[in-house]
Amino acid sequence: MTNEQPIRYYRPKADFAFDISDIQNFVYDMSRCIKCKGCTWVDHTYMPGAKYMTRCPSATKYEFDAYGAYGKMRIGHAMAEGLLPWNDRALEVIYACTLCGACDVGCKRNLDLEIELSLEALRVKAVQDGVGPMPAHKKIAGNIAGQHNLYGAPHEKRRDWISAGITPAEKAEVLYFVGCTASYVNQEIAQSTAKILQAAGTKFMLLPDEWCCGNTLFSVGLLDQARELARRNLEEVRRSGAKTLLLSCAEGYRMWKVDVPKLLNISTDALGFQVVHLVEFVDEQMKNGALQMKKSLNTRLTYHDACSLSRLSEPWTPYEGKRGWMGCVEPRLKRRRGTHGIYAQPRDILKAIPGVELVEMPRTRENAFCCGAGRGTREAFPEFADWAAGQRLEEVREIGAETLITACPWCKNNFNRAVKAGGEAVQVRDISEVICASLEA
Amino acid sequence: MAISKEIYKVFEAIVGPAYVSDDPVICEGYRSGPGGYENGLGYERVMTKVPGCVIMPRTTEEVSRIVKVCYRHDIPYVPYSTGFYGPRSHPHVEDALLIDLKRMNDFILDEKHFYVEVGPGMIYSPIQEECMQHGAYVVIGGGGAQASAIANLIGDGWSPLSHRIGLPHRRILGTEMVLPDGEILRLGSLATGDDPFWGESPGPDLRGLLRGYTGLRGCLGIVTRMAIKTLPFQPERLEPTGISPNTALALPEKRIKWINFTVPSKEAQVQAMREIGHAEIAGAVTKVPLFWRAIAKAESKEDFWDLWSKENEETVANFFIVRVLLIGFTSEEQMEYDERVLMDIMTPLGGIARRTKPSDESWIKNADSAGMWLMCGGYVSVDYVIETLSQSPAHGPSYAELKKKYTPPLMPDYGDPGWFQSFELGHQGYSEFLVYWDQDDDTNAVDQFYVDTAKMNIKNRYYTSLLGPHQPLYLTGPKYGPNYHEFMLKIKNEFDPKWKSHPPVPLAHDVFVERAPWMQAMKDWESPDDLPK
Repeated sequence: MTNEQPIRYYRPKADFAFDISDIQNFVYDMSRCIKCKGCTWVDHTYMPGAKYMTRCPSATKYEFDAYGAYGKMRIGHAMAEGLLPWNDRALEVIYACTLCGACDVGCKRNLDLEIELSLEALRVKAVQDGVGPMPAHKKIAGNIAGQHNLYGAPHEKRRDWISAGITPAEKAEVLYFVGCTASYVNQEIAQSTAKILQAAGTKFMLLPDEWCCGNTLFSVGLLDQARELARRNLEEVRRSGAKTLLLSCAEGYRMWKVDVPKLLNISTDALGFQVVHLVEFVDEQMKNGALQMKKSLNTRLTYHDACSLSRLSEPWTPYEGKRGWMGCVEPRLKRRRGTHGIYAQPRDILKAIPGVELVEMPRTRENAFCCGAGRGTREAFPEFADWAAGQRLEEVREIGAETLITACPWCKNNFNRAVKAGGEAVQVRDISEVICASLEA
Repeated sequence: MAISKEIYKVFEAIVGPAYVSDDPVICEGYRSGPGGYENGLGYERVMTKVPGCVIMPRTTEEVSRIVKVCYRHDIPYVPYSTGFYGPRSHPHVEDALLIDLKRMNDFILDEKHFYVEVGPGMIYSPIQEECMQHGAYVVIGGGGAQASAIANLIGDGWSPLSHRIGLPHRRILGTEMVLPDGEILRLGSLATGDDPFWGESPGPDLRGLLRGYTGLRGCLGIVTRMAIKTLPFQPERLEPTGISPNTALALPEKRIKWINFTVPSKEAQVQAMREIGHAEIAGAVTKVPLFWRAIAKAESKEDFWDLWSKENEETVANFFIVRVLLIGFTSEEQMEYDERVLMDIMTPLGGIARRTKPSDESWIKNADSAGMWLMCGGYVSVDYVIETLSQSPAHGPSYAELKKKYTPPLMPDYGDPGWFQSFELGHQGYSEFLVYWDQDDDTNAVDQFYVDTAKMNIKNRYYTSLLGPHQPLYLTGPKYGPNYHEFMLKIKNEFDPKWKSHPPVPLAHDVFVERAPWMQAMKDWESPDDLPK
């Protein structure tokens, strides 16, 4: 407020913080939902027509209002007030959700409500109340505790992805954090990423002993375990002396850029190094001439915006303040609205590949429909994850794309499962693979 | 009476077990408030209940069967399309069945005959997109792009684009509805076949059951299918641009553009609207509240209050703007001609065209009513009137005067007289008055202001639309019509003798006044002793 017009109203100022360990911090946000359902519909300006009207997988699949953010806000509010007990349906409502951020961006198109943080806080509350997470999540937590990776694969095999010709440095300014999935499941992504770095003449190192980034632990509300892992990982990266932490996994990128700082109550800037996704690196190298796409790929392709690289990827700043009259906050708050996600870079890269015809799906960028895999969804609700991928593939079919590109192994794997199950004639590839293929002229 | 297991099984048999639930978590998801249109007020706190059960039918026949079961077993029910219209679209009695119509989102566009046919789950923005792809358009009402088109058309449903085409609900064509006892009624050409292209029925035109001046909030049945007349539009694509939250349609300037004029006085505003209408040009002509400009500029609610706190009674009183949307429906030449005519009208009136962005942020496709909550969190339009173009601009200032008594808790708006515009090329004048508050304040005065506006309308002889289900029927009924309430209650008793369709509407506001202690002092009218308590 300026001093030019005295406030004629008195309201006691309420302290609050962006601290998801206490649901009370988000009661204001949950109580202000107006049921416009902007969380569910595609931004009306971009509404593509009578098909593909929604961007919330959970609300689209389960249909009852409870599964949309408007329902979850009401349910969360009632729980925060102690008026509604947990039951199996409540757990499904809270966990059969990809936390993809579509609702958060949609809500913040018009309002200033923190929907994503409220949903995260609800999962933390589920754990605090002894009912969460889901059994499949507990298994993953066990795997991480035992073998430091999601899959329970032998920890000593974490570097088995390194193939001939890939030569990480002992010491470099760029540290490639590979992540569990590219280390064990999608080694082609790790290999392509390493080759791209080498093609750009960029020395890179690996962590001497890389562990899981903690994305799933954080996402399902296991805050203590996630925080412990974040502390350990941050210490390791800082000890390495890296100036840039590079990721090829969108989920890992968001974890490092947003949620590690969130867990440790520091800002992204305070990490002490820059967090970049491969597409940011390649885009920059391409524009300064260090990388050139030479080999023609001759395909009609489309790009799927991985949620954690796009609308969820704006940097984190801790916040503590007071909320007063009309809900205004002091000190001022720069809200994360998804505006500055990584949208342009992957498209610029793909357009630079000779022979590529890039076509957009009806739902793109901040309006993209999540693949359905992330944030613990695939493990606990595989049928829902399959369904969500199928919905997205319908769009791919409709625009006649031959190749579906994404920048996250979670998306790639989930789409591949759906392609296989549906017998689709679509090739699913990670963006690192097509970049690498185009460089290898 | 809670829904028994036996009846629950019947509902499962009708729609399938996946589409009915009495789980308390599912039902909580349908709570009306505390946020939203008119929410946080006494009406929401006193009158709304969480449903006892929720069901999601897919077809008219399923709706009919559900309603018949309700009627046979005395189960109150409420139709629900998107739930956006605040507490009045939510259950008012315990253990009601909420009939969620979102799965009924069928869409057919008949390009040749210029209509679309929709179910109650279909919202406006996809309809507009489909129409524009086929050279047509609809008017997205002030309820917003997220509103169910059917609910909006049988409720309120107008916008600045009503300048050209008048009240959108006059474009309701063939319609199918389920009456309160479950009987299926087909109106217009649907009465004699399956083609909904025509609205008038062979007998009495029963579209009046859907609404009078404004809607009846589902108390006379459930509309399950409706054909809506579309209008010819210019052919160029309006390209979406920007990233959320700053998205807009880029306008092809040779075919469509907004021009904002400042004029020297209110009289000039009204004269401009009248002459633009008489010249039969423009797609929209409107004057909006000054604080909407602050909403449009603000990046956050704190920004809004920074911007708005720079205004005062003088700046508000001297804000005279006329916003005009020109559309070259047939050609670029038509657009050029219309612009020349517009300038011929505005120049002698002292109108100065201001620099206006070549884009549309709101009204054509994204009627942005959701953004109205940005700065306060609480909002309601306390009134709309459709009068003559001379009379309607007098409506806002009388509200602004009354509002002073209730500020705070109402937002300080320095006497802003609200929104007014021409309808139907100047045949009518429209005025809407909106109020804002913080729902954490003591809002009893907002409830009182709302009823006080009805009294003011009666005193000043304004023909308000917010009667029936929006104000106490026994306050307004004897003063309008006269005795329109008796006619309305006879219709209600005839079609819904057991009062199972969204009870106690249309007497809900009467009941609210009886129940809310802070409303007792407001009551200076007679009502029967047997109102439901």
